[in-house]
Order: sequence, then C-alpha cells, then structure tokens
Amino acid sequence: MKRNSPLQAEIPFEALDPKRIRMESARKQALDQGRTRLLVTGVMFALAFVVLGGRLVDLTRHGKDGAPTWRAMNRSAVENPVVVRGDVRDRAGHILATSLPTQSLYVDSREALKGGDPEEAASKLLSVLPYLNREDVLEKVKGGGRFDWLARNLTPDQVWAVNSLGVPGFGFRREERRVYPYGPSFAHVIGYTDVDGRGISGVERTFEARLGTQGEAIDLSIDMRVQSILHEELVKTQARFNALGAAGVVMDVNSGEIIAMVSLPDFDPNKPAGSLGESGFNRATKGVYEMGSTFKLFTTAMALDTGTVKLTDGYDASEPIHIARFTINDFHAKKRWLSVPEILVYSSNIGTAKMALDVGAKQQKEYLKRFGLLGAADVELPEVGSPLFPARWGDISTMTISYGHGIAVSPLQLAAGVSALINGGVMMPPTLIKRTAATVPRGEKVLKAKTSEAMRSLMRLVVRSGTGKNADVQGYLVGGKTGTAEKQVAGKYDKKALISSFVGAFPMTKPRYVVLAVVDEPQGIKATYGYATGGWVAAPVVKGVIERMGPLYGLLPDGRGVEAEDAPDHPLHVPVSTGPKRTAMVGGKVQHAAY
Amino acid sequence: MTLRSALLRHTTVLFLLLAGGISMVLFSVKYQVHDLESQYRRLSGELEDERRALHVLHAEWATLNDPKRIEALAAEYLDMSPVPPRHVVGPDAMLSIPVREITFDDPAEGGEAAR
Repeated sequence: MKRNSPLQAEIPFEALDPKRIRMESARKQALDQGRTRLLVTGVMFALAFVVLGGRLVDLTRHGKDGAPTWRAMNRSAVENPVVVRGDVRDRAGHILATSLPTQSLYVDSREALKGGDPEEAASKLLSVLPYLNREDVLEKVKGGGRFDWLARNLTPDQVWAVNSLGVPGFGFRREERRVYPYGPSFAHVIGYTDVDGRGISGVERTFEARLGTQGEAIDLSIDMRVQSILHEELVKTQARFNALGAAGVVMDVNSGEIIAMVSLPDFDPNKPAGSLGESGFNRATKGVYEMGSTFKLFTTAMALDTGTVKLTDGYDASEPIHIARFTINDFHAKKRWLSVPEILVYSSNIGTAKMALDVGAKQQKEYLKRFGLLGAADVELPEVGSPLFPARWGDISTMTISYGHGIAVSPLQLAAGVSALINGGVMMPPTLIKRTAATVPRGEKVLKAKTSEAMRSLMRLVVRSGTGKNADVQGYLVGGKTGTAEKQVAGKYDKKALISSFVGAFPMTKPRYVVLAVVDEPQGIKATYGYATGGWVAAPVVKGVIERMGPLYGLLPDGRGVEAEDAPDHPLHVPVSTGPKRTAMVGGKVQHAAY
Repeated sequence: MTLRSALLRHTTVLFLLLAGGISMVLFSVKYQVHDLESQYRRLSGELEDERRALHVLHAEWATLNDPKRIEALAAEYLDMSPVPPRHVVGPDAMLSIPVREITFDDPAEGGEAAR
C-alpha cells in the first residue's frame, strides 16, 4: 500500500504550509484521541484477561483450598489429634494413661416428645441398654429440656443398636474416655480423671494444664516393669501379714528419679468412683509415719560426718537410759559395749540415742533438714504430706528422733534421704518426671564422700550380719536397714500396732537403686514366729524386688562370693572394734563411764 | 488493505484455534484435578481412620502388655521362670569356663600336627 501524501514528519520544516497544518491538526487531534482511548481500553481488557487467565490457571492447579502439601497434612494431624487429652507414658514410652474416642447418648426431650410416646421410647431404649434405670430415662425424656445425658461412653455396638431403633430425639456426642491399661498398679502415681476428663488426683491433676489444655504427653520416670514388680510384692505381703496397708518406693539414687511408687490399698482408676476413702490415700507421699530404726542411718551418718565418732568408737548399751519419765531400751538387747557398726547392726536404741546426744540437737536438726526430712517433699503430686516433728527440740526429742520416734516423715522422704546417704552425699530432689543426663540437677552436697562410703559399708553389714538378713540377694551386695515403729493409738504407743519398714539399696559397691517397703500394722504369722518387725515383713519385699529387678536391668552380680567380703581390702570392709572408747553425756552427768 | 485484513483474519482464526485447544486442555485438566482431589479426600479420610485405629490399637497393646497378664499366661503355657540373679554373667565369666589344653607338635620335627 502506497501513501499518496507524505506523512507530516517527512515534510521538511521549510515546506510546511501553515494553512494546511491547521486544517490537518484538527483531524489529527480527533484521530489521536480515538487511538489513545482505544489503546487504554485495549490494555485494560488485556489486563483483565491476564488476571482472569491467571485465576483460571490457579484454580485448575490448586482447587479452591490450594494444593495439599505434606506440611499441611502433618499439621492437620497435629492440630486434629484423635483425642484432646495427652497420654501419660512411662520412661520407656509405654502408655500408662490414654484417652479413647467414644460416643455418649443424650436426649433432646422436645424432639422426643414430638416424636411420640415417651413410654414407648424409653422401653425401646431399655431393650438395647438394659442397664439404664427406667424411671430415670422417663424423667429425662419427659423433662422438656433440650439436652440431657442418658448414657456416657457407649461402645460402637451400642451406638449402632440405639441408632437402629430410629427413635427421634436421641443423639450422640463425641467424647473421650480415659483408659488406664495397667489398672490399679499405677493408681496413686497417675491418679484419675472425672467423667468430664479433668484430672482429680495424682499426675493427672498436677499436669492438668499440659495434658488437658495443651494435649501434651507426659513422660514419667516410672518404669512400668519395676512398678508392676513392686506392686505385686507389696500386695502379696499385705495379704500374707493381713496388714492395713503398705507403701513402696524404688528410686534411682544418682538422678533422684522415682522408678516405682506404690501405695496400698489402691483402686482401679478405670472404674469411675465416688469417694475412694482409705484406698484413695497415697501412703507413699501423703502419709507420714514414725519410721523407727531406719532413722538410725541418718544419726550414724551425721555422727560420722561431723567427726563426733569414728567407725571404731562405740557406746555402752548395757543398761536402759532413764530420762525424765522415759526409758529407752533395746529391742535386740546385747547388754554390753557396742561399737558404732554394732549399734547399727543390732539396731541399738541406747547406743544411737547416746550418739545423737553427742552430735547435739542443733546439728541433728541441721542435718535432718539437709536430708529433706523437715519439709514437705517437692514432688509432682498434689498429695504430699508435711512431716511432723516437735516444735521444742530438747534432749529427749534428740534421743527419740535419733531412732525414728517423735518424728514422722513420708516414705518418699525417707527414700530420698537414704539416697543422699549412699550416692556420695548429694541430695537429689526426687521427681516423677523422666530425667536425661542433661536434665539431672546438680543436687546439694550434704555429706562428705567419705561418710557416704562408710554408710554403704555399714548398710551392707546390717544385711550381712544384722537385722536385715532377709533382704540379702546373693551377688547384688544389698545393704539396708530395718525399721519397726509402734504406732501411736490415742496418744500412747501400741505394742501391737507396728509400722514395719525396710530401706535397702544395691549394689552397695556402687549404689544404683534404693528400694523402700513400709507395711502398716502387719500381724505376725507362724512362719515368722509371730514377729511382725521390719526384718521379717518388709525386708523380704525388698529382696523380692531386687531379685527380679536386677536381672531386668542386666546388673551383673558380684561373683566373688560371701567370703570375699570378709577380706580387709574389700571396699565394703568395716573395721571391727572391741574396746570401750567413748561414753555419752546424758542429762549433764556422765553415765556408764567405766565399762 | 487486502493483505492486512487477510493477515488479521488468519490471526483471528489462529487465536480461535488456540483458545479452543487450550479450553480442551483446561477441560481435561480440570476433570483430572477433580478426580485427584476426590482421591485425596478419600485418602486423607482413610488416613484419619487409620490414625484413629492406631490410637486405639496402642491402648489395646498396652492392655495386652500388662505384666500381670503376661505373667499369668506364661505360668499357664510356658515352662519358664524369671531369671535369677546368678544367671546374669559378664564377659569375665568366660574366664571361669575350663579350657581344654591342646599342644601343637612341630611337624618339621616329625611329630603329628594336632587336629
């Protein structure tokens, strides 16, 4: 196509005709305007199409919710868990408490009344759920309310049966039901929840916020296997000696973790209960008891640690101590001078009382405080008992407390205190939560390492040749101390009502675990010659636990045999002393100065 | 003028064809995506069911794993007992196993090699 006139720009400036320019300019202006409008409209349409096209591609690719990504899927799994409440697990990850989704039946009585005869509806419902109360159901169906629970936590079969009735006004709502697979074994540690899934006692209550609101899982320090062993041994013993109750604690002496904790009588947390009464009482943490002779361990430790006595020293225990209106006597009386190891081995009250007097009330109080025996145990349970001890701590208190009378502590406190005696002298705060090497606290140094070593040897000696023979497990070098305390009944000590205990630890060359058993009011039987003391009742429990727990943990028994321990170079050798070297001041004047 | 309009017509036809082609592709892709999405919904539903089942099975496993139950079953069906401590031995227990002494004769000396 050839133009018949050159374009304006092609005309040299000199040749421009002013008349023509004016004429063409008007035309051009109109044309330019038209073009610009067309261009703008065109661009706008093009943009609109680009946007539409983009959206089209987007929709085609991703659908209306966007493409599912792995991250989104994982997040939805986390954000929509099967159940709301978190699990409670043991140290190996076994589920100790979990929630299961269930359906609960409710009645909307307006719908139900609209639907027909309430009597007929109730009869139909009772035909599939025969355990419901007829009057109760009728009352709720006729009640006129829009929402009333009829039956909680039904099985899928029951849900199907109710649905197939086709009665109007009945509906289901999704709920959770708390399940405790191991039943009563963990009753007092984990506690239980009410029908609405709120923690009522135990760990369930302590960690209500983390379990319930945040849905987190809690990892306990408990070992399900050891817990089961301890529970079984205690149940057996409670039945055998017809005891009122029993408590047991297994603790890792180096980390302060509670490996097992049992209180009897117990309950089945799976069965919703109203008032639990006696069986809801946690004897291991809430109950405080006068522990008796197991306290002699603390007295001996403080006497050795302060330098008041050496292992070769001793006290005269030939005659009872008479002070004010009290008489302190020995149960296993030897009626002679006893060295410090002998005082512990024969569990001499007289010797221990004299030793405590030498240590003094102030130091005694200071040491007991360090062992955590004068304040409530700091453990992750709502049920924690405060120890009982005299406000006025005179000489008499010093003497009775030295052998565990006049002071009441919980079994857990005793186990934690004994751990500190033998782990090198470090008081570890007890816990129910799993600790790793990184989260083990440093603990508080309460004893010299040397004192701790001496205590290991002494505890071993008690089991080898003293009152704790029934706790010995060949090869595991068990050490321990028996305790038998009379219970106070109406302000007086009752010779028939005993608290028999044994605190053991193993292996004494390098202690790993403390095992404590406390039995409340055991009755002597023929096999124990009528005795119901710690050595006869509680020591076999500790033996049973160690015997089964050691191989479980793959602990190697010491193969050197019993004779090896008599050698003076054995790490647990205790020097023998025969001569009178020390006497005690009682009531200001020296007693038994010459012997 | 004719060349330009011819070119324009061709372009229009070309674009129409292109648009038609793309709509076809779009159509098929849309249905493909639709199918994939329903598959996805079904799979995530199944996944949800499996997760629920897994949760319940975990609880069931724990119930079946109750040491008391296993102990009762073992007592009834197995001829086994708990490991006593003396059965746990370390590597140095090997040293206490008696060793049979074997002497090697030197074949060069005319003796017989130990078998």
